[in-house]
Amino acid sequence: MSERLLSPTPGQMRDMMEKAIQRGTKGVKFINARAAEVGLTPKELIYDEGTLKLFHYLPQADEIYRIPVIIVMATTNKGYLFDLIPGQSMVEYLLQEGFDVYMIDWDPPQKREKGLRLEDYTHRFIPRCIEEVQRESGEDDVNIIGYCQGGVLSLIYASTHTDGPLQNLVCLTTPINFEEMGLTRTLSSEDHMDVDKMVDTLGIIPADFIEAGFEILRPAQKTAGQMRVWDQMWNDDFVRSYRAFNRWSEETLPLAGEYFRDCTKQLNWANGLYNGTVRVGGDVADLSNIKIPLMAVMAEHDHIATYGATKALMELVGSEDKTDLVLKGGHVSIIAGPNAVRRMWPAVNEWLGERSV
Amino acid sequence: MANEKRPDPSQQFSEWITQWERSVDEFSNKLMGTDEFAKSLNQMQSMQLEFQKKMNEMMATQLANLNMPSREEVLRINEEVANLDRRLDRIERTLRQLVDHLSDASSTEKQKPSRTKTPPRTKKKPSEAS
Repeated sequence: MSERLLSPTPGQMRDMMEKAIQRGTKGVKFINARAAEVGLTPKELIYDEGTLKLFHYLPQADEIYRIPVIIVMATTNKGYLFDLIPGQSMVEYLLQEGFDVYMIDWDPPQKREKGLRLEDYTHRFIPRCIEEVQRESGEDDVNIIGYCQGGVLSLIYASTHTDGPLQNLVCLTTPINFEEMGLTRTLSSEDHMDVDKMVDTLGIIPADFIEAGFEILRPAQKTAGQMRVWDQMWNDDFVRSYRAFNRWSEETLPLAGEYFRDCTKQLNWANGLYNGTVRVGGDVADLSNIKIPLMAVMAEHDHIATYGATKALMELVGSEDKTDLVLKGGHVSIIAGPNAVRRMWPAVNEWLGERSV
Repeated sequence: MANEKRPDPSQQFSEWITQWERSVDEFSNKLMGTDEFAKSLNQMQSMQLEFQKKMNEMMATQLANLNMPSREEVLRINEEVANLDRRLDRIERTLRQLVDHLSDASSTEKQKPSRTKTPPRTKKKPSEAS
């Protein structure tokens, strides 16, 4: 059967013209606009220590779940991905669903913090924040939602603090098997990369380097995004969302050198989380030690923490009560994209709600 | 019989962007996914680090000769100022909490929501939730 293209109808022509005019007028506004306003949900800083920030989001429900939840953000990016803009904010959603939400967020580490090690994050920062949450909420128990590297830190914490106050753990796109990290693995292989030289020379690994590491995985993404936003310039919601995402992706954080060295050698080269060999603060992080209920959310098209790298968690963790959820989407859209709003947030709400009383 | 179809330029453009993005990413991932590429990239980076190190040392010596602070020293002062600022913020926060506590402890308690929420009885499948 052949296909014959007809010329556009007068209605279609009018629509195209209107969009073209709007592209012109709104495009000028877009170019001159200030940085998108993000992370607007009211919150209080309740603890800070150099690179570490602990925020408490003000409850929005009259009745809240007993156990507070702490979001542990990845160390490479700002936590407002979880609170992008009103209506596109997982934090706002959880607050409205009756959760008491805290967030461990990160600032760029200062020069004097270049010596921070992996164990500072898992054996000092997370326990310290949990103490603060316990003090602030008056509850002994806590739940954690860890995102990407934040999930890795949470897993290391959970596997080495098995008698601690952590009751439930949700890991969002958390890489476990670094053999499956694709291009990231190849480019940072120990055969080619001299991490010692890099850390010894730079002290702090610059944000540009981290950002380039992400961009190299999807080199066309930025340009394609710019073309899409031009095409959709007439669509205010699309532009608003694009500007917020764009601001977030450009705000990549530098990393403390020793921490970067630890992560490269222990997690990436030795594949320590998968092999159960990660050594932190005198402990060995063995995921089979984790017995608390665990939920793993994975993205099918994740180009950073690939599905292959994340799925291993379910086989390695010692929990009897464990749930996995594989969704269509990428590393970032799974947190704040349309499928997050439709599926991920409600699924986490339901799973965690039942276990937060 | 021919299947008649009206073109939607916007949709066509959108599909084209997706295809273009996919093909560029696939091509470059193939190119960069080789050991040779990884090796040359890291060699280049290593040379850059070496250069940067030498430049930093040279600049530091020259600035010291001119009795001027180096970039490192200026950054350190900047960090110290930022730390002082943070410390002041922390003191201010603690004082505010203390004042709140002393002046109206009971009403603050009243404002806190009760931790008694239970999940709703009627559960929806995540796919059905909007």
